Amino acid sequence: MRFSTLLRKELRECLPWMLLAAIAFLAVGGFFLRAEAYYENIRHYSRLSPGTAVDHYRLTYYSILNVTGPWLFCLSIGLGLVLGIRQFWIPNFTRTWPFLLHRSVSRKTILAAKLTATLIAFVISIGPVWVGFYWYACRQEVFPIPPTFRVFIEGWIFIMLGLVAYLGTALSGLSTAKWYTTKIFGLAFATVIIVTTLSQWTLVGIFTVIAISVAILLSLIFDSFLRREF
Amino acid sequence: MNEIVLETEALTKYYGSTLAVDHIDLKIPRGCICGFVGRNGAGKTTAIKLMLGLLNPTTGSSRLLGCDSSALTSAIRQRIGYVTEGHRLFRWMTIAGLEKFQRSFFPKQWDDKFFADMIEYLNLPKKKKIKHLSNGQRAQVSLALALAPNPELLIMDDPTLGLDAAIRRQFLEGMIELIMRQGRTVLFSSHILGDVERVSDRIVVIDKGVLRANCSLEQFQKAIKKVILSFADSAPDEVNIDGLLHCKRIEKQLELTLIGTDDEKISEWAKSVGAENYHIVKMNLEDQFIEFTAPANHKRLFQWEER
Repeated sequence: MRFSTLLRKELRECLPWMLLAAIAFLAVGGFFLRAEAYYENIRHYSRLSPGTAVDHYRLTYYSILNVTGPWLFCLSIGLGLVLGIRQFWIPNFTRTWPFLLHRSVSRKTILAAKLTATLIAFVISIGPVWVGFYWYACRQEVFPIPPTFRVFIEGWIFIMLGLVAYLGTALSGLSTAKWYTTKIFGLAFATVIIVTTLSQWTLVGIFTVIAISVAILLSLIFDSFLRREF
Repeated sequence: MNEIVLETEALTKYYGSTLAVDHIDLKIPRGCICGFVGRNGAGKTTAIKLMLGLLNPTTGSSRLLGCDSSALTSAIRQRIGYVTEGHRLFRWMTIAGLEKFQRSFFPKQWDDKFFADMIEYLNLPKKKKIKHLSNGQRAQVSLALALAPNPELLIMDDPTLGLDAAIRRQFLEGMIELIMRQGRTVLFSSHILGDVERVSDRIVVIDKGVLRANCSLEQFQKAIKKVILSFADSAPDEVNIDGLLHCKRIEKQLELTLIGTDDEKISEWAKSVGAENYHIVKMNLEDQFIEFTAPANHKRLFQWEER
């Protein structure tokens, strides 16, 4: 009951940003996707005219969903940063940590509620829109060659990178050091991980980098939160 | 002897090289209303946060309701009410939302009727968000939230700071409501000595991180005296009397602030230095506090019971 109370509180604090992210992704991503679908259809049928050939790349890796990729990536990182700031930086300024921490629950529970709320926020704000886009791109009348499942997975990788950005922001927010010293470590580490992930080609490599970095960030966040003075 | 609900042993806290709390040994018995006073930056908030386990001591320890502050269990926290400095609550929540939030952490002990009565008495709109309340209203909500679970120990960090006289009076009435429930202990820090005088039965004075007094309010008020001695010629150069806090010469007069010196000794000393006459000036708590914490070389702990 206490966990669910904390979770509700955290979700309520995330709600405006969840809605904003979902609407922004739907509106901007949808616009790009619709425009790309229109031009792709024209291009596709012109390629199918006698005497032209469809190259291997277009039949396998290319997807009109790619047009939403940069937007999804930016939005996901942005959402991660905003939620990290909301949950771990703002209470430093509003000085609400003592009120929150003097609860009849452990600090682990309080932190777990924050992390769970963020996970839910990511999944239910951007996730359904991404699934919707994938479903839309798979429709034959939109794009005769359906996107591969890998493209769908890549979207979820961008969402996971948003979570990495969130964890990095959270770690920096929990640090009591000066911003130009070790406080910046969390954000710097997340940046390195994001760049490293983007430079990976295989899914195994990508998931390995993300899993290791999330494990490191989570252990550092738990350690900081349990030890930190408020 | 009364049960001790709050106890610190050589509690010390450094922020870098700055000493905020210096070896505080404190014992607060059950059922007392303890005013925790000190000037700005004296270390009151740090001491309170150390007691609540929100800060880690550099050395020493503290115990609340028999449990070490660094490892307060959920069950112990349920028995402690805490009003934070500045009444920092979640600004986006409504009063009703905060009530629901707070209640879920005290499922068995939350007093719905008390909270509703208090909110109604204070005429607070339940649907209003905290960010739209005035400082005074926020303070009242904060107090109602802390009192509704009927805590055994209530710790308040400067709860009346920034409130006007009328709101402060209402706030103190709320405190008295808790005091009337038997066996409840209150520790509250304050700058406003009038508030301490009105509700406390015990006073703890902290100055520059050092515990200076820990006794009943009555003893503290009896102990600090101002004596004005008049001399025919000139006041003596050397003043050597037990319990001297401050000494001021005004022409043929000598103004002494004394602590723990009884009237008989004052009379003897006045005769021995050839004073024409002397009289003891009545001081209020604020004057006593200012004299007591003003810079002087007399910095020992005033703890009446242990003298």
